Amino acid sequence: MSILSVKDLKVRYSASGPEILKGVSFEVDADDFFAIIGPSGAGKSTLIRCINRLVEPKSGEITLYGTDVLALNSRGLRKLRRDVGMIFQEFNLVDRMSVMDNVLSGRLGYVGNITALFRLFSKKDISRALSVLDRVGLSDHVDKRADQLSGGQRQRVGIARALMQDPKLLLLDEPTSSLDPKISREVMELIVEIAAEYKMPVLCNIHDVQLAMEFCTKMIGLQDGIKMFDGPTAKMNTKKLDEIYAMEVL
Amino acid sequence: MTTAEATAREADRIIAARSRTKLMHSAIYLVVLAFVLWSVKTTIVDDTDWARLGSLADVLESISEFVGIDWGLVPNLWEPAIETIMVATLGTLLGVIVCVPAIWFGALNITPYAPITYPLARLMMTLSRSIHEIVWALFFVAAVGLGALAGVLAIAVRSVGFIAKMSAEAIEDLDPKPVEAIRAVGGSDFQVFIYAILPQVLPAMISVIIFEWEINIRRSSVLGLVGAGGLGLVFFRQLNTFNHPGVSTVILAILVLILFGEFVSYYVRKAII
Amino acid sequence: MASSATTHRHSQTRRESPREWRRFKFPESLYRWAGVLLGLVFLSYSIIYLNIPLERFFTMFGRVGALITDRYYPPEIDYVTQPEYLASVWETIQMAYLGGMFGMAMAIPLGWFGSYNMTPHRRFVYPLARFVTMSTRSVHETIWAILFVTILGFGMMAGVLALTMFCIGFAGKLFAEEIEAIDMGPVEAIRATGASELSVMVYAVFPQVRVAFTGIGIYTWDVAFRAATVVGFFGAGGMGWYLKRNVLQIETLRVSAILVSIVVLVLIAEGISAWARARVAKAK
Repeated sequence: MSILSVKDLKVRYSASGPEILKGVSFEVDADDFFAIIGPSGAGKSTLIRCINRLVEPKSGEITLYGTDVLALNSRGLRKLRRDVGMIFQEFNLVDRMSVMDNVLSGRLGYVGNITALFRLFSKKDISRALSVLDRVGLSDHVDKRADQLSGGQRQRVGIARALMQDPKLLLLDEPTSSLDPKISREVMELIVEIAAEYKMPVLCNIHDVQLAMEFCTKMIGLQDGIKMFDGPTAKMNTKKLDEIYAMEVL
Repeated sequence: MTTAEATAREADRIIAARSRTKLMHSAIYLVVLAFVLWSVKTTIVDDTDWARLGSLADVLESISEFVGIDWGLVPNLWEPAIETIMVATLGTLLGVIVCVPAIWFGALNITPYAPITYPLARLMMTLSRSIHEIVWALFFVAAVGLGALAGVLAIAVRSVGFIAKMSAEAIEDLDPKPVEAIRAVGGSDFQVFIYAILPQVLPAMISVIIFEWEINIRRSSVLGLVGAGGLGLVFFRQLNTFNHPGVSTVILAILVLILFGEFVSYYVRKAII
Repeated sequence: MASSATTHRHSQTRRESPREWRRFKFPESLYRWAGVLLGLVFLSYSIIYLNIPLERFFTMFGRVGALITDRYYPPEIDYVTQPEYLASVWETIQMAYLGGMFGMAMAIPLGWFGSYNMTPHRRFVYPLARFVTMSTRSVHETIWAILFVTILGFGMMAGVLALTMFCIGFAGKLFAEEIEAIDMGPVEAIRATGASELSVMVYAVFPQVRVAFTGIGIYTWDVAFRAATVVGFFGAGGMGWYLKRNVLQIETLRVSAILVSIVVLVLIAEGISAWARARVAKAK
């Protein structure tokens, strides 16, 4: 049974602007590690941001664990977002806060405004944060400021923040594009391991086809807002890749 | 027509154009100068009571009355000096509190409903900055009576414009990426503000607030002139009793106070940045 | 460093990480609470020391509203459109621009002497120039107005001089900062030709700061105009005198009309100043 199903998703940012997504549909199962590949400007980032409605689609249908995502009110949307972890290309950490506070901010979907204002997180949250930081290998950097870390370490903080949410689905937006090749590989390995531990499906935008082929179980190929390929990684071949990236050559 | 002729003609044209613009400029300067001279005549020459002023020697004599320090006054300056600092501090703090809605409404990227709330905030900022602190103090003396409270309120209201304007600009320039991240974890608007916006703009805001505090010491040192206590009141009293060295003493005290403010603000700003 | 996750997994001697965590460890937490406590003590002490009637503060909002509607509304607009008052507005404008001009004329050399990189003498002229700008700035414009009124008598001359002093301090500091931020390359080049310090200023420094100085000049005029609206309060000419008279006579409707006229004028001045500065910045 599929966990996430997207049907005929269409997006345009302004009434007169171009259509970014032109009716995309796909299904994600419980143990999928899905890669979304395609040339830049194909709509990968937009697609992934529709799942937790950081971008509002124009029409279509998104169902996640049986919930109609597009029908949610703002309270329901907050609930949904806390179940969906997200990891960003440029980490999107708050540079001036400590690693610990950045990780704890992953709990914000669960706590009220007063807790957030005075940063009164429970002992349980703190000990959870410590073990998550252990898991991503940052237990020596708990009290450092986020901007004192290297790129790879910063992405690990981003992963830890997503894990704090106790997510049921992980969205990755180009998690490795700001990292060098060696560290990219390490980060991808870590994410694959964690996804298996938490038994959650992953949806990953990635421009590096090599990495995608290596780590992902399924693939969607996007080109100019249209789905060109959808299937197991094993079925992807050079010819199809050429087709997807044809626009980039022009 | 040969090329040489054409070049010569072109040069003539450029020279003519230049002398034309030169003439224009001189004419403008002349008009401005005439206007200035006329202004000087109407404001300074016509409006001054030259008989009261007397000769240059008389002027120098009345200036010399101000030379000197009234040491007897110095012990009496402590209390008003502390009052002045306190009024400036409380006023700045209250100003910061009043600022919060102005900043929230006045930053285009977080204002709740731009067509109404944004102009409202701009109006608040402009009113605060365009009315002089003396006028604000007069208004609050009428509202809450003589005393330090009127001074605190005047300072607070006068501070709102600058602090809010600079902070709103800082918020408009912030990095939107952490904002997106906090939204994505399910944070409410308030949590987005506390976690993603405030940490980014806090250093700039504190720096602006301290700068404003420094200016507010200067302001609160004169609010006594309209009945709001502090050094201004002592100044007024010395002047009314014709104790001119005392007047100079108070001015020196104000200078010392402001130096103290600059000193504190320099170190605090260094510590936070 | 980024591979610490893998090294952690491989090393068997995994450090027992503390399950307890506090935002502020022992000495910092103490300083922090002490700081907060000190701030609160100072705050409450100030309120007591200044005799601030808190109950009056909290009931103030209703009272201010009532005050405005009962006594300050509607403003007597006829009063501010009579020719006498308009003449005083014109006087105010004249005072502001004359004061601004004289002040700027003196602030430019002061800015030169008070900039650390260009000052003719770092041990003597520089601190002196800094002291002059600092003290003219620190003394509030109303104090200058009162002093000049005491020495020179009532009239616009006192106002012009008070605004001159104000502008010296205000623009002098900004000018000095602007000169300190210049590129020293051209300065060295002109110095290498054997030019005098004045020629260095004219050929190497002035072209670099011309646009910024113009912008500061316009801004100074704008600020001086705001100050000019009140120097008359202490007898130094302009519309401030009308304000004082009506405040003393408790003609509140006229006072509010004057306040409205001040706000409108300042808004116009600010608009002109913003427009002019934008044009100057574009001409760069």
